[in-house]
Amino acid sequence: MGLFILRRLGVMLLTALCLTFVVFFLTNLAPNLEKLAKTQGNARMSDAEVTRWLDNRGYSRPLVVRYGEWLGVVPGWTREAPDGAVTGRCIGPADDPAEAPTFCGVLQGDFGYSTVSAEPVSDVVGGRLALTGWLMLYAFALMVPAALAIGILAGMREGSRLDRTLSTFSIASTATPEYVSGVIFIILLASSTAGVSPWLAEMGWIEGRTLFLGSARSAMENITFWNFALPVATIALYGMGYIARMTRASMAEVMTAQYIRTARLKGVSFRNIVLKHALRNALIAPFTVIMLQIPWLLTGVVIVETLFNYNGFGWTLVQAASNNDIELLLSCSIVAVLVVLLTQLISDIGYVYLNPRIRIS
Amino acid sequence: MTQHTPSFLATHPVAEMYAREYKKGEMSRREFLTRASALGVGTIAAYSMIGATPAKAQAAPSMGGELRIQQRVIASKDPRSYDWSELGNMTRGLVEYLVEYNRDGSFTGRLLESWEANEDATQYTLNLRQGVKWNNGDDFTSEDVVANFVAWCDSSIEGNSMATRMGSLVDPETGQAREGAIEAVDSHTVRLNLPEGDIAIIAGVADYPSAVQHRDMIGRDPLEHGVGTGAYRLENFEVGVGASWVRNEDHEYWGDAYLDRIEFVDLGTDPAAWLAGAEAGEFDMTYETTGDFIDIFEAIGWTTSEVTTASTLCIRMNQDNPPYDNPMVRRAVNMAVDPSVVLELGYAGRGRVAEHHHVCPIHPEYAELPPLTYDKDAAYAMLQESGHADHVFEIVSLDGGFERDSTDALAAQLRDAGFNVDRRVIPGSTFWNDWTSYPFSSTTWNHRELGVMILNLAYRTGVPWNETAYSNPEFDDLLTQASGIPDADTRREVMAELQRIMQEDAVVNQSYWRSLYRSHVSDVVNADMHPKFEINMHHLGWA
Repeated sequence: MGLFILRRLGVMLLTALCLTFVVFFLTNLAPNLEKLAKTQGNARMSDAEVTRWLDNRGYSRPLVVRYGEWLGVVPGWTREAPDGAVTGRCIGPADDPAEAPTFCGVLQGDFGYSTVSAEPVSDVVGGRLALTGWLMLYAFALMVPAALAIGILAGMREGSRLDRTLSTFSIASTATPEYVSGVIFIILLASSTAGVSPWLAEMGWIEGRTLFLGSARSAMENITFWNFALPVATIALYGMGYIARMTRASMAEVMTAQYIRTARLKGVSFRNIVLKHALRNALIAPFTVIMLQIPWLLTGVVIVETLFNYNGFGWTLVQAASNNDIELLLSCSIVAVLVVLLTQLISDIGYVYLNPRIRIS
Repeated sequence: MTQHTPSFLATHPVAEMYAREYKKGEMSRREFLTRASALGVGTIAAYSMIGATPAKAQAAPSMGGELRIQQRVIASKDPRSYDWSELGNMTRGLVEYLVEYNRDGSFTGRLLESWEANEDATQYTLNLRQGVKWNNGDDFTSEDVVANFVAWCDSSIEGNSMATRMGSLVDPETGQAREGAIEAVDSHTVRLNLPEGDIAIIAGVADYPSAVQHRDMIGRDPLEHGVGTGAYRLENFEVGVGASWVRNEDHEYWGDAYLDRIEFVDLGTDPAAWLAGAEAGEFDMTYETTGDFIDIFEAIGWTTSEVTTASTLCIRMNQDNPPYDNPMVRRAVNMAVDPSVVLELGYAGRGRVAEHHHVCPIHPEYAELPPLTYDKDAAYAMLQESGHADHVFEIVSLDGGFERDSTDALAAQLRDAGFNVDRRVIPGSTFWNDWTSYPFSSTTWNHRELGVMILNLAYRTGVPWNETAYSNPEFDDLLTQASGIPDADTRREVMAELQRIMQEDAVVNQSYWRSLYRSHVSDVVNADMHPKFEINMHHLGWA
């Protein structure tokens, strides 16, 4: 088991290294650097000014060297201006150049500086991940129990009217992308000119202009049912149908197994058959799907966070990409690798507890 | 410059008596306004009776309150390298400007009490406002202004867009301020000595990169050092999310500031998200409202503010390409096209009809010319007379947006008149590579503060942006003459002649001026749209 986890961690490091190099390479292509110079300097800079801007900030040196600097295995660049002022990768605006460290990279725990928000990357990513964490927590708390309930109810009597109804619902919800369901929710529940809100306001049943808030911005400070329900529901709805379908298939298969028939013949009540005998075995397949939903949600929140103005991790990713914020993008990709591989690790370990016959050597 | 007071409102005898009392200091401004409006004098008229600028203050907001503005929050930097008006709006409550550009096209002094130029605009005397203090306790003096002018002229700083606005103050050889060009006469007077006349200097120091920094803070980001003359201090700032300003209680501000707190709310670039934010009550005014969203914001009860700008679309022929060197052909095109139709079909009527001379009513020196006439039959007759009736007019435009729609509207009208017209659309990625050399194409032009600025940029013989290849010595001479007249009213006489030449030579087909719009909740005061998107938090307030 220990060796297994160690090997997994090794794979994780290697993946992170490869992925960050790819991201580093792509964000440092000449047109992307030009774009960076123009967003940071001035959008109407001339080509000569762009070159000077890049030179002054160390962007014009070889790619591999700069990747090494970011990793912290190559000493950071320094540059002396004609007036004697020394600038460099490891020298902040207020630091004394003589005391600045030689190396400053990921290995030294320095994830760099976000050019678009002018803050250390670790501060940006940390705060944003926490916000997305809340969104995902609520989405999971709604999605998983609801999906399992739908899947089990549908799968325990395959082909029944209940099964057909619930299956139709779950297929429809999975087939509706977030940018469609989100907009439908806003129109129906959070518009003062359409949907139910004008009618409710006319009846005097709601105090504000709309029933729910179509913007989750206020939830960044204070989460309430009214400002957070729509983004959570939008995320949950999309994942729900998929998990429910998986659970249903798994449940339906288990319900035809020999030992269920035996239990039934022994006169065990249907309720006990489902809860005590079928459920645990039926949950192995959905468990993987649920764990896979975590990295999927982390990227899926890009749309929902943008749609509902919730400034979390997905939104940061969009901002970083559209501004070619190199070091922020690199850290975002590290986070993505960690989340994907950690959740897979957890699901592999979780199998052992769900099914003692599975062994991890 | 362009103050129009409706005479029937301004001549109430009692109100005039009140105005005299106000001027003698016997009555406060607010009391005067209350009494004058009680007599039925409109607020704008009342302000003009006591010599205040109506464009700045349409009504005095009440003191206090908090206002939230939807606007992008971009990482701040050295003001000289500002490239978005949002950056200027963000810091305007802290670092102020020498001169403010008003939405009616006029200029008002902020840190300048007044300014004078000599006859040929080669010498400017800037009189600084007395009693202005920096929030670190220092006095605002000519030392600050000189240091800023020197910094603005420094073209060795990457992205310093002020260097181009400073024109001949910059020595082309050193890339720095010309020796002896900027001098402090006394503690509150600065003199600029230019080698050649330049009337655009005042417009240059009213533009958003020209925020005045403390003499020791030049080149630094105002949000980081926090020193300014303005009434506010930064409370919170997060790129892409929001920012907030509060009244700086430790600082005595020289002017009026009404709000206690201003918050900027960044909701991205999608207007649908702004609407959702407005419905959720997250802000009180937009930065800019565009297209269909103007009506949608009205539908949820918001007020729309419109401003005419000198942003426009010129559909022009390049005179290096026959037969467009023949003025009769160009005149025939202009005569065949009704601009109001182009405005309606191409820009949904959100603008104002223009007169083919690229000088806008908002420009201080705009001269009103007799209205133009449109006659399809006469146009076709003129084309036949010129001998080019068989010519196929290939008109190029961008492949989308109002550029394409407006050019289509023009092409359709030309076809109606009997011209042979071909349309070609080119994607934006390649269109701009040789926009100056297409024989017949449409080009968007941005707002400039003065009419002469545009004419100098686009129609003087041989200038880089002369996309019409127009070359007329008489026009150039008059333009040089106009560019040296600082007074707008005197300049207008020459301008009228320039505008007439533009129309007569049919240099461009210019159908409309684009309007800009802003939406706000109805009881915000002074939130009107500005041709350069400016928001001055000192003016804002609640009714």
